[in-house]
Amino acid sequence: MTSTVTIQDRQSKVTRWLLIPGIVWMSLFLVVPIAMIVYVSFWTQTTFNISSDPTLASWKQFFTSDTYTGSLWTTIRIWLIVLATTFIVGYPTALFVGLFVKSKTLSTVLLVICVIPFWTSFLIRVLAWRPMLGKEGAINIVLMKLGIIQQPIEVLLFTELSVIIGMTQIYCVFMVGPIAFMLSRIDRNIIEAARDLGAGFGRIFWKIIFPLSLPGVVVGAIFVSVMVLGEFATSGALSGRKVNLLGNIIVTQVGSLKWAMASVVGVVLTVVMGIVIAGFLRIVDLKREL
Amino acid sequence: MDTAVFRLDGVTKRYGDLVALNNATLEVGANEYLSFLGPSGSGKTTLLRVIAGFEAPEAGRVHFEGRDITNVPAHERGIGFVFQNFALFPHLTVIQNVGFGLTHGKSGLSSAEIERRAVEMIDLVGLSGMEGRGVDQISGGQRQRVALARTLAMRPKLVLLDEPLGALDANLRGRMRNELRAIRERLGVTFLHVTGSETEALAMGDRVVVLDRGTIIQTGTPGEIYDRPASPDVAHFLNRFNLFDGSLSRGSFTGAFGTAAVPQATRANRDVYAVRYDRMKVLPASASTDGPKLRATFIASEYLGSSVMNFFDAGHGHLIEMEHHLSLGAPDTYEPRQDYLLTWNPEQAIVFGREAG
Amino acid sequence: MESRIIKPALGVYVALFVLFLYGPFVVLTIISFQQGPDGGPQFPIIEWSTYWYRQIFGLTPPSRVAPLPFGEALIRSLVLALMTMVVSTVLGVMSAQAFRRNFKGSAVVFYLIVLGMMVPGVLTGLGTSLLANNIIGIERHWYTTAFATHVAYTFPFAFLVMLAILNRFDSSVEEAAWSLGVDPWTTFRKVTFPLIFPGVLSAMLFAFTLSLDEFPRTLFASGRDQTLPLAIYGTFSVEIHPNIFAFGVLTTLFSFALLSVYGILMAMSVRRAKKMAMQEDIA
Repeated sequence: MTSTVTIQDRQSKVTRWLLIPGIVWMSLFLVVPIAMIVYVSFWTQTTFNISSDPTLASWKQFFTSDTYTGSLWTTIRIWLIVLATTFIVGYPTALFVGLFVKSKTLSTVLLVICVIPFWTSFLIRVLAWRPMLGKEGAINIVLMKLGIIQQPIEVLLFTELSVIIGMTQIYCVFMVGPIAFMLSRIDRNIIEAARDLGAGFGRIFWKIIFPLSLPGVVVGAIFVSVMVLGEFATSGALSGRKVNLLGNIIVTQVGSLKWAMASVVGVVLTVVMGIVIAGFLRIVDLKREL
Repeated sequence: MDTAVFRLDGVTKRYGDLVALNNATLEVGANEYLSFLGPSGSGKTTLLRVIAGFEAPEAGRVHFEGRDITNVPAHERGIGFVFQNFALFPHLTVIQNVGFGLTHGKSGLSSAEIERRAVEMIDLVGLSGMEGRGVDQISGGQRQRVALARTLAMRPKLVLLDEPLGALDANLRGRMRNELRAIRERLGVTFLHVTGSETEALAMGDRVVVLDRGTIIQTGTPGEIYDRPASPDVAHFLNRFNLFDGSLSRGSFTGAFGTAAVPQATRANRDVYAVRYDRMKVLPASASTDGPKLRATFIASEYLGSSVMNFFDAGHGHLIEMEHHLSLGAPDTYEPRQDYLLTWNPEQAIVFGREAG
Repeated sequence: MESRIIKPALGVYVALFVLFLYGPFVVLTIISFQQGPDGGPQFPIIEWSTYWYRQIFGLTPPSRVAPLPFGEALIRSLVLALMTMVVSTVLGVMSAQAFRRNFKGSAVVFYLIVLGMMVPGVLTGLGTSLLANNIIGIERHWYTTAFATHVAYTFPFAFLVMLAILNRFDSSVEEAAWSLGVDPWTTFRKVTFPLIFPGVLSAMLFAFTLSLDEFPRTLFASGRDQTLPLAIYGTFSVEIHPNIFAFGVLTTLFSFALLSVYGILMAMSVRRAKKMAMQEDIA
């Protein structure tokens, strides 16, 4: 009895059936929706209605309005600042957890401590910054008690600063994790050897530790970028509607049923996101690092 | 008449550009014990994996019990496989491991019958009383036996063993070797045993198949292989020959030891002169002899129980080994760093050459 | 030695970092014990009380502050998270299993799946609601459109977790099962699955928590009935009372309970798998 179906054919068939559900799901509910955004951005919008007649009107409106172009620049500015602050705040922590802590248990405990805040709802974590930063908030009270300031600092809440502080706290852990992971993989013998050769910590750091941790920095930067660029809740809740990111524009446009304009902003956001991620992926191969 | 239980017809397997198996053809009779010998990367494990159905060959056919099984999936082949790392099911006990195939396969046996067979197999491999243990609670040798019992419980006609003794220590390996042989004789199964150890291959096999770079380069009884290696490579893998490069020309071989007459030579793609370790003779440096002679410095000796190995340096790091069987009398002792003259009877040498016919 | 200065310095830094991470939550917890119903969501604490906790459970008389409208939203969120967890874990295990063999286009499929966690929720949500609203013309619901976007978001996480687990999986145990005459599907159920179960548990946990807290996708794609994050977001635009903080403390405690259950399950999984198999053989 000879069957013409080879073992390879059979395995390929199994692979195909294992993959099809996932591919179909992602195509229908991820790729098609994004294509939809591009498509609808060329639709004709009237006050109460939208029709599929192609037009560039919404695009023209986007690029001629200061509100919209302004929100693009705000988004990019906030993204760059938060990228920098999460890196600055997160790197020393990652250095301690990944490299300086010798005991495996302690570094695990520290990482768990970093992750615990995620067990509170994201929105409530954002909201928790209000009693912290407000005019009668915890920071002002503590600073006044310590006699450092006489008058409460008012720029802490409902400004761009509060948005940056909030985002830094919420997203810095995504920097710490990947960097600490890369640092923990560094062979300690290399550092010891460099030390034996008389290299100081600064030199060892810049020549060995930092370059080896760079893939972690990039992975962390991808995480932070993806989340910050798509943000609208933190800016909405902590800026008192003063900081309008692209995400905020999309939310308000959808709220007033301006689907075409929301789509234009969505395409702009997609393009920004694509450039940023592609840029980072040129530095590291994500598939290999995971 | 086809008496072969199992037959490979020109089987070829590639991994990208690498040819792991090249046109392998082989017949195995019922109740035979075949060992596969070859260095790592020679394709011997690939050969077993193709036979088991874990890998599909690019070309060639695999026949088993009179049918073409090339396209039959592994679980329908009825061929047993014992892994080098044992591959026991870590979440199951000893008896669950042994009964696994009967329980979850198509045996159609009642659970009482399955348990009876599993207990019988555990008894056969000498693990009675350990049925309820987890496989992480037993020693390496015991795991090996569980792996064997698990395979044999299915009563396969053909069992493939992939370096099954490789993970065991030397002492245990010797004992397991004897047990493997005994078990096979009791059950009448064909064993294909892959090994990297020439001692194991020669000791265990009714026949030995030598592989190199994906090609079967010699098949024969251990005696044939040992006495008449088909190529310099086989002589090299057997690890029983001193090999000399040189040139074969008109019935004599010229090498580091001078020129020696060659009564008979085997055709090969290069000229190599091979002398078995136990054919070597050691003379004082000042002695004179008609035969081939090689000046060499004594380095050290190793006592192996039934024989003594003596190591000499013939210059340029060329190590020469000489084996003295203790049954032939007490060994001579040599002085380290002293020069000696090594010689042998040229009629006992095995010579390969391009000129041979 | 320089590290004698650097290590303690970094230690102090990490302590400050933890303070930064936890500060808002500590303040939130303190204010959740504000006096009610007149105390506001700020300092100073007029009087310590558990009023806002009692209000969440409906144990206070009606006052000018309406109770949080979270009851049904919580149920919806839990059901949605369970549905998402099951589907994305199944998809994740299937795809990761497929990725154990090389196949043409594997890089494309890999990035197609990983794209789900890279695209901002606001875009997936917008696109899905455009599709439902303007093209197909169906109503959006948390259990249809929002569910689809949730899975498209959590499936990549489950996939990556399973990929990491299966990369380290020794496939010789599966081959051993085949060589014992056990077909691939039974082999998967009896050998592979019990051995990768801890990983499956992690994938489930990931999917569940991500879905439970998912907000931007749900905002656009869920239609009229709100999930919990939407209900919380709804309170942003009106006046905030300490009851939302008390609610935050409670959900965090709930999360911890969930985490503990996961930890216990994780620790027991190997032992349980063993026992399960044993009982099966006896039966």
